[in-house]
Amino acid sequence: MHDDVVITGIGLTCAAGLGLDALADRLQAGRGAATAFETALPVTLACQAPDPVPDDAFPDDRKAWLAFAALELALADAGLAAVEPDRRTAVFLGTGLSSVTPGELEDDAYPHIRDGRFDVARVASDLSPRHASPWRHMPERVTDEVARRVGATGPVGTSFSACAAAAQAIAEGLWTLRRGDADVAIVGGHDSMVHPLGLLSFVVLGALSPGACRPFDRERDGFLIGEGASLLVLERASHARARGATVRARLLGAGTSVDAWNATAPHPEGAGAERSIRAALRDAGVAAADIEYLNAHATGTPVGDVAEAAAVARVFGEGLPVSSIKGAVGHTIAAAGAVEAAACVAALERGFLPGTEGLCEQDPECRVDAITAPRAVAPRLVLSNSFGFGGQNASLVLARA
Amino acid sequence: MSAPSSRPVVVIGIGLFCPAGIGAEGAVGGRPGEVPGFRAQAYVADRKSLKLMSQAVKLGVSAARLAVSDAGGDEVLAAVPAGRRGMYVGATPQTGEAQDLRPALEAATGDDGGFDLQRFAGDGVRLIHPLWLVKGLSNNVLGFASAIHDLQGTNSSYCDGEEGGWTALAEGAAAVAEGRADLVLAGGADALLGAEPLLGGRRCGEAAAFVLFAPADRAAGIPWDASVRDRLDPDEASLGFLGAATWPVAYARHLLAAR
Repeated sequence: MHDDVVITGIGLTCAAGLGLDALADRLQAGRGAATAFETALPVTLACQAPDPVPDDAFPDDRKAWLAFAALELALADAGLAAVEPDRRTAVFLGTGLSSVTPGELEDDAYPHIRDGRFDVARVASDLSPRHASPWRHMPERVTDEVARRVGATGPVGTSFSACAAAAQAIAEGLWTLRRGDADVAIVGGHDSMVHPLGLLSFVVLGALSPGACRPFDRERDGFLIGEGASLLVLERASHARARGATVRARLLGAGTSVDAWNATAPHPEGAGAERSIRAALRDAGVAAADIEYLNAHATGTPVGDVAEAAAVARVFGEGLPVSSIKGAVGHTIAAAGAVEAAACVAALERGFLPGTEGLCEQDPECRVDAITAPRAVAPRLVLSNSFGFGGQNASLVLARA
Repeated sequence: MSAPSSRPVVVIGIGLFCPAGIGAEGAVGGRPGEVPGFRAQAYVADRKSLKLMSQAVKLGVSAARLAVSDAGGDEVLAAVPAGRRGMYVGATPQTGEAQDLRPALEAATGDDGGFDLQRFAGDGVRLIHPLWLVKGLSNNVLGFASAIHDLQGTNSSYCDGEEGGWTALAEGAAAVAEGRADLVLAGGADALLGAEPLLGGRRCGEAAAFVLFAPADRAAGIPWDASVRDRLDPDEASLGFLGAATWPVAYARHLLAAR
């Protein structure tokens, strides 16, 4: 039996707007946040967060500023604005590949390919002064800045496991607190692939829908690109009590697994997803029958949704209410696990189950109770899934405060 | 607060590739640069998969293989259920393979001879390898090695520069100590040759090192103790900057030199 780990602060920004209430309002009302998106690529809709980049910001890296916006909200929510010298704070954040601006593509990459190869030395020596050093592309830079701002003296890590990154980072914060290596953990993730190279990489993979994201639907054909950051403040219940913090939800357990199947395709029956779910239930010390709602990873791709549904049905049967919020706020990639953990907190606090925006006619191959519209049901115990390209999986179990 | 139960952890296998050499040969000395005599084909059975691996991934997958062999081979893994076998990796991501993007950039030349974003997105897209971005993901070491050794359990991949390799060792050992896994491959891989200009001229090397962790009550090995870090020497003068492989290489050299 271990001391409970609780969530005492949430900072979120995504296509729904700034703050968890903006997302909760949308999910409760069943209103998606996708808007028209103009690009030469075959993409018509995207889920963009309020522009996070201040005027004259340096560097103008969207996902970094998304993270800084989320951090401020999370610290204010938790009442942790000031750095306390004797508080040991850990930071674990999930993130993805660097945001590349059109300017960088034009100024830094394009001029160096005329001889038939990229000349890295020239890229370095001719780097446009309008852009930061190549270090701005290092994913850990944001983690290090967050650690600096909160005065972290505990473990600090950047999880880089594609779409499972934020959920894995949350898991590591949980385990770090349990073993007593920190008093507070700032965890979550941030990502923005709403830039030419980011969109391009998903278009060439065939993962983006040209129209809408339709998780579990017969007509599903990919996801909508989203962006966002979600940072959670975790602490042991005893620590939260001692400083009089408000507990928003409890993080009961986490599990991770690998498909160990193929570096570029998910296991078709969701074997890895099932192990991740079972590991999280074991870690939380709860039975499958105790879970009342499951927030699915379901991105709206043909293979991914059916594999996850199979895993969920094997663990929980076909009666557990399941939904995906990716139709509403898009796929926030490396941030998704933390955005969805925040959505779970909203469901626990407000007493509702989010629907699945974009789901019209359920694919009979997806044998789960996929909720279309939000339900006025107050869950006590929920589970959230995140699965990453490369086969890494993570599941979190959250409970009402 | 009660800490989770913790059990002693030992290292039962070591796989080292560094500019000083492979395995025990790499334990001392070296000069910045390539791993002498490294051929990924000698360690990766599936030749087709090599085409999807960057140099760092080839090194990482090979070091994982060597660590398993050093521990006694696949039967050591087979003694533990796949779901109880985990992997923790530190590596540096690249934004795709730069050379794969070249055809699209070339197609992006506009009528005025300059860069045209519309053409890049229009004509350029179909010239890019579908797995362009995927090849640059640093969790590929984990993706490939976990499939080869059927490691289905707890895992993580970190990108924290040279700290990422240390985090992988520490968290991998913790996963065994705290009972989330009974075998964990942990380490790091990086291949920064060619990146020297981006690193201000710092001399670099390519390297990967993995260790196989097991609980002390199930296997004989060298006791893991996180305080070992204070006694490790990254020896950048001999090896060059090794990125995320820095601490796993230093740890593997420390263990091999004592054998």
